[in-house]
Amino acid sequence: MSELLVVEDLTVTFPTTRGPVDVVKDVSFTVGRNETVGIVGESGSGKSMTSLAVMGLLPPGATTRGSIRLDGVELLGRPDREMRRVRGEQASMIFQDPLSSLNPYYTVGLQIEEMYRAHRRCSRKEARRVVVEALTQVGIPEPERRAGYYPHQFSGGQRQRVMIAMALVCSPALLIADEPTTALDVTVQAQILGLLAGLQRETGTGMVFVTHDLAVISSIATRVLVMCRGEQVEYGDAEQVFAAPRHDYTRMLLESIPRIDDEVVL
Amino acid sequence: MARYVAGRLAGLVFLLLLVCVFTYLIFFKLSPDPALMICGKTCTPDRVAQIRASLGLDKPFLTQLWDYLSGLVAGRDYGSGPNLVHCPAPCLGYSFQSSQSVTQMIVDRLPVSATVAVGAAVLWLIVGIAAGLLSAVKEGSWWDRTAMGLALGGASIPNYVLALTLQYVLVVKLQILPFPSAVPFSEDPLLWFQSYLMPWLVLATGYACLYARLTRANVIDTLAQNFMRTARSKGLSPALTMRRHALRPALTPIVTIFGMDFAALLGGALITETVFGLNGIGKMAADSIAKNDQPVIMAVTLLAAFFVMAGNVVVDLLYTGLDPRVRVS
Repeated sequence: MSELLVVEDLTVTFPTTRGPVDVVKDVSFTVGRNETVGIVGESGSGKSMTSLAVMGLLPPGATTRGSIRLDGVELLGRPDREMRRVRGEQASMIFQDPLSSLNPYYTVGLQIEEMYRAHRRCSRKEARRVVVEALTQVGIPEPERRAGYYPHQFSGGQRQRVMIAMALVCSPALLIADEPTTALDVTVQAQILGLLAGLQRETGTGMVFVTHDLAVISSIATRVLVMCRGEQVEYGDAEQVFAAPRHDYTRMLLESIPRIDDEVVL
Repeated sequence: MARYVAGRLAGLVFLLLLVCVFTYLIFFKLSPDPALMICGKTCTPDRVAQIRASLGLDKPFLTQLWDYLSGLVAGRDYGSGPNLVHCPAPCLGYSFQSSQSVTQMIVDRLPVSATVAVGAAVLWLIVGIAAGLLSAVKEGSWWDRTAMGLALGGASIPNYVLALTLQYVLVVKLQILPFPSAVPFSEDPLLWFQSYLMPWLVLATGYACLYARLTRANVIDTLAQNFMRTARSKGLSPALTMRRHALRPALTPIVTIFGMDFAALLGGALITETVFGLNGIGKMAADSIAKNDQPVIMAVTLLAAFFVMAGNVVVDLLYTGLDPRVRVS
């Protein structure tokens, strides 16, 4: 399998009043085409910073070391002007809270359209057709009409569908999903996961799936990277990691999953 | 929508009625007898009674109030017999001081106040928003700290201090501007501009400083929103990201505040107009209060209340167009 994304010894450092702090330390992983890699860890473990580093969207002040190669091309150290062409076109991202991640002042149609038109030369009419297609693909009913709706007029699950339609509108090779189902209730969560898996089969997109929810990871990822306090504590085949965790932290994470047959202590 | 507007207008009329009743109560019941003031020093009780009758002050309070309100809507007559004067609607009575029709006084002076307000508003919007934007984009920079420091200082200077200082420096010392006089634009455009320049500057300074700080805060707040991260993740150009995604959410709240500020200014800039001797509504208010000219005080209060309330309604209506989440039902 040819590797789509190769991250090697990635270190992200933030300056603080008490000196520089490494929020991500020597993280390495690879994502193949049509493959899903899960990044797991608790809040503050550096999993979101890792994905933002890939997108070149780290907050100002952050410095990076190591290497991030997408399709063999080094991304670290590239000027923002060039990264802009990568973002959306080659790699795109969906976020945890679809309501706040969409601009409340514009229709979802426009927000998808502007992304398409940022990367493809085309008429507005052509872009509108693509928008309707994208909305159809993620299962939004009456896509022509709903394209003219504002984000607040959709349900939570539908908003995340809109985000997915937007992220995939330019057919990127890599999709980074940063806790895309955390803000959704369980049935909607399952629908969104199913949608992502289905779209991946169709398009062959490589996916990085960031979450703190191991149950979600086990259903979607082929490989898992476990992070704790910015460090990579375990990396390997998903089944293997879950069956025989080598690190105490992974074991602890696995044990913290509530099970239906657990004894309830009141 | 039509029902909503009708409801808001009905509310506006009701509030104006309340303002009317309270102002009438305060100025006609609690302040010194206007008949005595008009009559002067060499006054006989007969003469006072006569004046009271001609002003309608001998009637019960509610009758007086009713006469005033009906005069506003339908016009009214003052005096009787050969002395009868008809005051056409909207009748706000006659000035105790100059015997002029108050309605006519307002018609004459409103353009002056409007000119002051519009000119100042244009200035403070341009300067305030531009400075605030620049500060927000270059947050923490040398420019940001200087501009915000100046804005804090500028917002703290009382208008009369600024007005008198400007007048002293520009008119008296440097003699680059004439003393302001309210000439119409059509008569002498240059003198018109020179006359209004100082009032504009004085009024705009305070507001520009407030608006700069407000704009900066709103823009910084918007830039930190999740949807800005989304916009960047989409590979949009920084210009489009800023113009489309940041500016509209950041500037929409400013529309609300501007609507209120501007409407309040239309009701007269009391201090600025008085210092520069511009015959606007503000100066009229100051003069009428100084001389206890009750019909004028009534009129000025009602006018200011009307502008503030109308400004509110207009802003609310505008908002339904500016923010898609706000819809009237």
